[in-house]
Amino acid sequence: MIDHARAVRIGNCSGFYGDRLSAMREMLEGGELDVLTGDYLAELTMLILGKDQLKDPSLGYARTFVRQLEESLALALEKGVKIVTNAGGLNPAGLAEKVRELATGLGLDVKVAHVEGDDVRHLSFENALTANAYLGGWGIARALEQGADVVVTGRVTDASLVVGPAAWFHGWDSTDYDALAGAVVAGHVIECGTQATGGNFSGFMELVADGRLDPAKPLGFPIAEIAADGSCVITKHDGTGGAVTLDTVTAQLVYEIQSVKYLGPDVTTLLDTIELSEAGPDRVVITGVRGEAPPDRLKVCLNELGGWRNAIEFVLTGLDIDAKADLVRRQVEASWGERAPADVTWTLGPAHVPGADTEAGASTLLRCVVKDADPKVASKGLTAPAVEVGLASYPGFTLTAPPGPASPYGIYRAEYVDRDQVTHTVVHADGTKEVVA
Amino acid sequence: MSRIPLHRIPLGTFVHARSGDKGGDANLGLWVSRTAEGPYAERVAWLLDTVTPDWVRDLVPEAAGLDIEVHPLPNLGAVNIVIHRLLGDGVAASTRFDPQAKGLGEWARSRHVDVPEEIA
Repeated sequence: MIDHARAVRIGNCSGFYGDRLSAMREMLEGGELDVLTGDYLAELTMLILGKDQLKDPSLGYARTFVRQLEESLALALEKGVKIVTNAGGLNPAGLAEKVRELATGLGLDVKVAHVEGDDVRHLSFENALTANAYLGGWGIARALEQGADVVVTGRVTDASLVVGPAAWFHGWDSTDYDALAGAVVAGHVIECGTQATGGNFSGFMELVADGRLDPAKPLGFPIAEIAADGSCVITKHDGTGGAVTLDTVTAQLVYEIQSVKYLGPDVTTLLDTIELSEAGPDRVVITGVRGEAPPDRLKVCLNELGGWRNAIEFVLTGLDIDAKADLVRRQVEASWGERAPADVTWTLGPAHVPGADTEAGASTLLRCVVKDADPKVASKGLTAPAVEVGLASYPGFTLTAPPGPASPYGIYRAEYVDRDQVTHTVVHADGTKEVVA
Repeated sequence: MSRIPLHRIPLGTFVHARSGDKGGDANLGLWVSRTAEGPYAERVAWLLDTVTPDWVRDLVPEAAGLDIEVHPLPNLGAVNIVIHRLLGDGVAASTRFDPQAKGLGEWARSRHVDVPEEIA
């Protein structure tokens, strides 16, 4: 039986697709948890997964999660820690199946549920590479209620990975807006992993000075201990690197937010109600968070293939930098002629030091970034003229790297759809489907 | 009219920052360090009073001509700034140096600003 009176301990072991591979195991070994979450999806990641799936439709999920689980699934089951992740990306059903295969191979009995319905390309976004509504946490909560050990989702909000488990553990109702808002704040703080524990922190020097940020010691990933009223303590496992302070938590609270009203699918969180206090080393308390009813429409992360982009960097050294840049730029542009890329950006920098006592100090870079709908124009079309002037241009001509082929780029934009157009669905471990209102 | 003596110092002397992207928009959070020596409450009051879209345009000259929102978060001693379209079409398409605005906050902290002497 769950003891609703105590706080639920929810950890994070991933802030992006590519985060520390060993973190899942470290979080399971390092101390007690009820739930371990991992965020793998940024807007750009959806595009990367979309490109993966163009090559192989069975992909579209974060493959590193499978490697992490291979190492850690047995331990998670043994300790009774639920794993909740958005690593499903564009293919949560595919990842759920992959996890079942993995468990079978390891001889483990595991209940895997997944959440789907976020893919809304059919809602007049057919031309998009990816179009995914940001779902809330209730699909996750239902999966946990039905006994899932592992819950795999696609595009839910990052905070939903924490809101869902907290709502399940404490038995919250969908209108418990203050508690839900508290969990959103907890989720927002831990969703980016070590960005809450001293990573990417402008006060890093004081942490280095007092030994809390030890370059030889990996930063601990964050944990939110969420109470039944939605208040929480942000902390990390004992003995791990980094720190949880008022300033490291604030750093994450102000990350990637917009207005004071933080809109989400389950609740609108009023960020100006957050109160922080310290309760001992590496323990920051968050209280006072208020929430109100969420908006009627859901945000959609939409990526379209924009075209092809490529870049080339010329090294310019010594005297007359501007004249050198001007010469090579005009030579390259002249050889493009009528086949110039559609979009060309030239930038010069960083500033060099005239007469510097190192060659690097006396040098700067002329960077040419191009975009075009035609991969040939952005590949050989850019690079051949730039290479061919190699012995025919400014004195000291060299490039930072051999020019390569163009790569496709996406254009991200946010769209909005009515809530009732989206079928937020949880597929339980036994295969039954349940639509979450 | 009495003039308050001002010091011109890097913003980061007592202000922390974290920045990032939301599509083509850059997000810049600024807050007063709780551990830097000096008067915390007065610095928070200064930050909340001082940061306006025009002040941000001086701080980040590349934002001149862009729409800027400033949202105060007094409980956190912070302001959140959204600079619309600084990143063009977003990270994947951007030709900008630092297309995800990861270093924007540290650039902002290195910029010199006028600060009243008693809180500098």
